[in-house]
Amino acid sequence: MTEETLLLGILAVVTIIFAAGMLFVRDNFFAAMYMSATLIMVATISAFFGIEPAFVLIVFIFVGAIGVVTVALASTYREHSENGNSLKMWLIPAIVTAGVIAISVYTTLGRVPVGRTIAFELAFFLTNPEYILLVISLTALGILLMLSVLKMIGGADECH
Amino acid sequence: MSLDPINLSIIYITSFILLIIGYSTAISSKDIVRLLISLELMFGAVFLTLIPLFSNLSETAFGITLVAIFTSSAELLVLIAAIILFDRKHKDLSTGLIDVGGDRV
Repeated sequence: MTEETLLLGILAVVTIIFAAGMLFVRDNFFAAMYMSATLIMVATISAFFGIEPAFVLIVFIFVGAIGVVTVALASTYREHSENGNSLKMWLIPAIVTAGVIAISVYTTLGRVPVGRTIAFELAFFLTNPEYILLVISLTALGILLMLSVLKMIGGADECH
Repeated sequence: MSLDPINLSIIYITSFILLIIGYSTAISSKDIVRLLISLELMFGAVFLTLIPLFSNLSETAFGITLVAIFTSSAELLVLIAAIILFDRKHKDLSTGLIDVGGDRV
Protein backbone atom coordinates (compact mmCIF):
# COMPACT_ATOMS: atom_id res chain seq x y z
CA MET A 1 0.00 0.00 0.00
CA THR A 2 1.49 3.30 -1.05
CA GLU A 3 1.43 6.50 0.96
CA GLU A 4 -1.08 8.02 -1.44
CA THR A 5 -3.49 5.14 -0.97
CA LEU A 6 -3.10 5.40 2.79
CA LEU A 7 -3.80 9.13 2.68
CA LEU A 8 -6.84 8.56 0.48
CA GLY A 9 -8.08 5.95 2.95
CA ILE A 10 -7.67 8.38 5.84
CA LEU A 11 -9.60 11.06 3.92
CA ALA A 12 -12.34 8.54 3.16
CA VAL A 13 -12.59 7.48 6.82
CA VAL A 14 -12.80 11.10 8.00
CA THR A 15 -15.49 11.75 5.38
CA ILE A 16 -17.54 8.78 6.59
CA ILE A 17 -17.11 9.85 10.24
CA PHE A 18 -18.47 13.31 9.45
CA ALA A 19 -21.38 11.77 7.54
CA ALA A 20 -22.11 9.42 10.44
CA GLY A 21 -22.08 12.42 12.76
CA MET A 22 -24.76 13.97 10.57
CA LEU A 23 -26.84 10.82 10.86
CA PHE A 24 -26.59 10.41 14.64
CA VAL A 25 -26.72 14.00 15.89
CA ARG A 26 -30.23 15.12 16.80
CA ASP A 27 -29.90 18.86 16.34
CA ASN A 28 -30.43 20.06 12.77
CA PHE A 29 -27.87 22.82 13.16
CA PHE A 30 -25.05 20.42 13.96
CA ALA A 31 -26.32 18.01 11.30
CA ALA A 32 -25.93 20.83 8.76
CA MET A 33 -22.44 21.56 10.09
CA TYR A 34 -21.45 17.91 9.76
CA MET A 35 -22.95 17.85 6.25
CA SER A 36 -20.84 20.88 5.26
CA ALA A 37 -17.73 19.24 6.68
CA THR A 38 -18.52 16.05 4.75
CA LEU A 39 -18.87 17.97 1.49
CA ILE A 40 -15.60 19.80 2.15
CA MET A 41 -13.93 16.41 2.60
CA VAL A 42 -15.48 15.23 -0.69
CA ALA A 43 -14.03 18.32 -2.34
CA THR A 44 -10.69 17.58 -0.68
CA ILE A 45 -10.67 14.10 -2.22
CA SER A 46 -11.22 15.80 -5.60
CA ALA A 47 -8.27 18.09 -4.95
CA PHE A 48 -6.24 15.05 -3.85
CA PHE A 49 -6.55 13.72 -7.41
CA GLY A 50 -5.54 17.07 -8.88
CA ILE A 51 -9.03 18.26 -9.79
CA GLU A 52 -8.76 21.70 -8.23
CA PRO A 53 -11.61 23.28 -10.28
CA ALA A 54 -14.04 20.72 -8.84
CA PHE A 55 -12.74 21.56 -5.35
CA VAL A 56 -13.36 25.25 -5.94
CA LEU A 57 -16.83 24.67 -7.38
CA ILE A 58 -17.94 22.34 -4.59
CA VAL A 59 -16.55 24.45 -1.76
CA PHE A 60 -17.56 27.87 -3.04
CA ILE A 61 -20.94 27.09 -4.57
CA PHE A 62 -22.22 23.93 -2.92
CA VAL A 63 -20.81 24.47 0.57
CA GLY A 64 -20.30 28.24 0.53
CA ALA A 65 -23.70 29.13 -0.87
CA ILE A 66 -26.12 26.25 -0.41
CA GLY A 67 -24.46 24.79 2.69
CA VAL A 68 -24.38 28.10 4.52
CA VAL A 69 -28.04 28.78 3.67
CA THR A 70 -28.88 25.31 4.97
CA VAL A 71 -26.93 25.94 8.18
CA ALA A 72 -28.75 29.26 8.62
CA LEU A 73 -32.09 27.57 7.95
CA ALA A 74 -31.30 24.76 10.37
CA SER A 75 -30.21 27.19 13.07
CA THR A 76 -33.44 29.13 12.59
CA TYR A 77 -35.71 26.12 12.81
CA ARG A 78 -33.85 24.16 15.49
CA GLU A 79 -36.11 22.57 18.04
CA HIS A 80 -33.71 21.58 20.81
CA SER A 81 -32.01 24.46 22.57
CA GLU A 82 -28.33 23.83 23.14
CA ASN A 83 -26.60 24.80 26.34
CA GLY A 84 -23.46 25.85 24.52
CA ASN A 85 -21.28 22.84 25.33
CA SER A 86 -21.56 21.45 21.81
CA LEU A 87 -20.55 24.80 20.36
CA LYS A 88 -17.36 24.70 22.40
CA MET A 89 -16.47 21.36 20.79
CA TRP A 90 -16.27 23.13 17.42
CA LEU A 91 -13.82 25.66 18.82
CA ILE A 92 -10.79 23.37 18.62
CA PRO A 93 -11.21 22.31 14.95
CA ALA A 94 -12.02 25.93 14.09
CA ILE A 95 -8.75 27.11 15.69
CA VAL A 96 -6.79 24.32 13.95
CA THR A 97 -8.35 25.24 10.60
CA ALA A 98 -7.59 28.92 11.12
CA GLY A 99 -3.99 28.03 11.99
CA VAL A 100 -3.57 25.87 8.88
CA ILE A 101 -5.01 28.62 6.68
CA ALA A 102 -2.81 31.24 8.30
CA ILE A 103 0.34 29.15 7.81
CA SER A 104 -0.66 28.37 4.20
CA VAL A 105 -1.25 32.04 3.40
CA TYR A 106 2.00 33.02 5.08
CA THR A 107 4.06 30.48 3.15
CA THR A 108 2.26 31.22 -0.14
CA LEU A 109 2.73 34.98 0.14
CA GLY A 110 6.43 34.40 0.57
CA ARG A 111 6.63 32.98 -2.95
CA VAL A 112 4.61 35.69 -4.66
CA PRO A 113 6.93 37.99 -6.59
CA VAL A 114 6.49 41.57 -5.49
CA GLY A 115 6.39 44.32 -8.09
CA ARG A 116 4.93 42.38 -11.01
CA THR A 117 2.12 44.05 -12.93
CA ILE A 118 -1.25 42.37 -13.24
CA ALA A 119 -1.76 41.36 -16.86
CA PHE A 120 -5.42 40.39 -16.87
CA GLU A 121 -7.37 41.04 -20.07
CA LEU A 122 -11.12 40.52 -20.20
CA ALA A 123 -10.90 39.71 -23.92
CA PHE A 124 -8.66 36.70 -23.22
CA PHE A 125 -11.02 35.58 -20.50
CA LEU A 126 -14.12 35.72 -22.71
CA THR A 127 -12.51 33.84 -25.61
CA ASN A 128 -12.19 30.75 -23.44
CA PRO A 129 -15.37 28.68 -23.90
CA GLU A 130 -15.00 27.05 -20.48
CA TYR A 131 -15.22 30.42 -18.75
CA ILE A 132 -18.20 31.39 -20.90
CA LEU A 133 -19.92 28.20 -19.76
CA LEU A 134 -19.13 29.14 -16.18
CA VAL A 135 -20.56 32.62 -16.63
CA ILE A 136 -23.73 31.23 -18.25
CA SER A 137 -24.17 28.71 -15.45
CA LEU A 138 -23.70 31.37 -12.79
CA THR A 139 -26.20 33.61 -14.56
CA ALA A 140 -28.75 30.78 -14.69
CA LEU A 141 -28.20 30.11 -11.00
CA GLY A 142 -28.65 33.80 -10.20
CA ILE A 143 -31.90 33.94 -12.17
CA LEU A 144 -33.22 30.88 -10.35
CA LEU A 145 -32.28 32.45 -7.03
CA MET A 146 -34.03 35.68 -7.90
CA LEU A 147 -37.14 33.78 -9.03
CA SER A 148 -37.22 31.98 -5.69
CA VAL A 149 -36.89 35.27 -3.82
CA LEU A 150 -39.65 36.85 -5.91
CA LYS A 151 -41.84 33.84 -5.20
CA MET A 152 -41.27 34.26 -1.49
CA ILE A 153 -42.01 37.98 -1.61
CA GLY A 154 -45.23 37.18 -3.43
CA GLY A 155 -46.48 35.33 -0.35
CA ALA A 156 -47.51 31.83 0.55
CA ASP A 157 -50.84 32.09 -1.25
CA GLU A 158 -49.14 31.75 -4.63
CA CYS A 159 -48.06 28.21 -3.92
CA HIS A 160 -51.65 26.91 -3.67
CA MET B 1 -2.12 10.69 -8.42
CA SER B 2 -2.81 7.39 -10.14
CA LEU B 3 -6.19 5.74 -10.04
CA ASP B 4 -5.37 2.11 -9.37
CA PRO B 5 -8.04 -0.46 -8.42
CA ILE B 6 -7.50 0.08 -4.68
CA ASN B 7 -8.05 3.84 -4.93
CA LEU B 8 -11.03 3.25 -7.20
CA SER B 9 -12.50 0.86 -4.63
CA ILE B 10 -11.96 3.38 -1.82
CA ILE B 11 -13.77 6.08 -3.79
CA TYR B 12 -16.73 3.91 -4.73
CA ILE B 13 -17.08 2.36 -1.26
CA THR B 14 -16.96 5.82 0.36
CA SER B 15 -19.52 7.12 -2.10
CA PHE B 16 -21.78 4.13 -1.43
CA ILE B 17 -21.54 4.61 2.35
CA LEU B 18 -22.30 8.34 2.01
CA LEU B 19 -25.29 7.51 -0.15
CA ILE B 20 -26.57 4.95 2.37
CA ILE B 21 -26.10 7.43 5.26
CA GLY B 22 -27.94 10.13 3.29
CA TYR B 23 -30.72 7.71 2.45
CA SER B 24 -31.02 6.54 6.06
CA THR B 25 -31.18 10.15 7.24
CA ALA B 26 -33.83 10.95 4.63
CA ILE B 27 -36.16 8.10 5.58
CA SER B 28 -35.74 8.76 9.30
CA SER B 29 -36.13 12.52 9.12
CA LYS B 30 -38.94 14.08 11.10
CA ASP B 31 -38.72 17.55 9.56
CA ILE B 32 -38.03 18.96 6.11
CA VAL B 33 -34.77 20.72 7.04
CA ARG B 34 -33.20 17.40 7.92
CA LEU B 35 -34.50 16.03 4.62
CA LEU B 36 -32.75 18.90 2.83
CA ILE B 37 -29.50 18.15 4.66
CA SER B 38 -29.68 14.47 3.70
CA LEU B 39 -30.29 15.39 0.05
CA GLU B 40 -27.17 17.56 0.05
CA LEU B 41 -25.17 14.66 1.44
CA MET B 42 -26.46 12.41 -1.34
CA PHE B 43 -25.38 14.98 -3.91
CA GLY B 44 -21.94 14.88 -2.29
CA ALA B 45 -21.85 11.13 -2.86
CA VAL B 46 -22.67 11.75 -6.52
CA PHE B 47 -19.80 14.24 -6.81
CA LEU B 48 -17.46 11.60 -5.42
CA THR B 49 -18.43 9.09 -8.09
CA LEU B 50 -17.50 11.60 -10.81
CA ILE B 51 -13.81 11.55 -9.83
CA PRO B 52 -12.86 8.33 -11.73
CA LEU B 53 -14.36 9.83 -14.88
CA PHE B 54 -11.52 12.35 -14.90
CA SER B 55 -8.96 9.61 -15.56
CA ASN B 56 -9.71 9.25 -19.29
CA LEU B 57 -12.40 11.85 -20.16
CA SER B 58 -11.23 14.82 -18.15
CA GLU B 59 -12.90 17.62 -20.14
CA THR B 60 -16.19 15.76 -20.42
CA ALA B 61 -16.02 14.89 -16.74
CA PHE B 62 -15.47 18.52 -15.77
CA GLY B 63 -18.44 19.53 -17.93
CA ILE B 64 -20.60 16.92 -16.22
CA THR B 65 -19.34 18.06 -12.80
CA LEU B 66 -20.11 21.67 -13.66
CA VAL B 67 -23.63 20.88 -14.78
CA ALA B 68 -24.20 18.58 -11.78
CA ILE B 69 -23.05 21.17 -9.26
CA PHE B 70 -25.06 24.03 -10.73
CA THR B 71 -28.17 21.92 -11.30
CA SER B 72 -28.14 20.45 -7.81
CA SER B 73 -27.45 23.87 -6.28
CA ALA B 74 -30.39 25.41 -8.13
CA GLU B 75 -32.57 22.46 -7.17
CA LEU B 76 -31.66 22.83 -3.51
CA LEU B 77 -32.27 26.58 -3.65
CA VAL B 78 -35.78 25.96 -4.95
CA LEU B 79 -36.26 23.39 -2.18
CA ILE B 80 -35.12 25.95 0.42
CA ALA B 81 -37.64 28.43 -0.97
CA ALA B 82 -40.32 25.72 -0.81
CA ILE B 83 -39.42 25.00 2.82
CA ILE B 84 -39.83 28.67 3.74
CA LEU B 85 -43.17 28.82 1.92
CA PHE B 86 -44.26 25.60 3.64
CA ASP B 87 -43.41 27.11 7.02
CA ARG B 88 -45.36 30.24 6.19
CA LYS B 89 -48.41 28.19 5.37
CA HIS B 90 -48.35 25.51 8.08
CA LYS B 91 -46.20 27.17 10.80
CA ASP B 92 -44.46 23.81 11.13
CA LEU B 93 -41.84 21.84 9.23
CA SER B 94 -42.81 18.32 10.20
CA THR B 95 -42.84 15.79 7.37
CA GLY B 96 -46.06 14.38 8.80
CA LEU B 97 -47.89 17.42 7.46
CA ILE B 98 -47.12 16.40 3.89
CA ASP B 99 -49.93 14.05 3.03
CA VAL B 100 -50.16 14.51 -0.74
CA GLY B 101 -47.90 13.39 -3.56
CA GLY B 102 -46.90 10.08 -5.07
CA ASP B 103 -48.99 7.54 -6.93
CA ARG B 104 -52.14 6.09 -5.41
CA VAL B 105 -52.18 2.34 -5.98
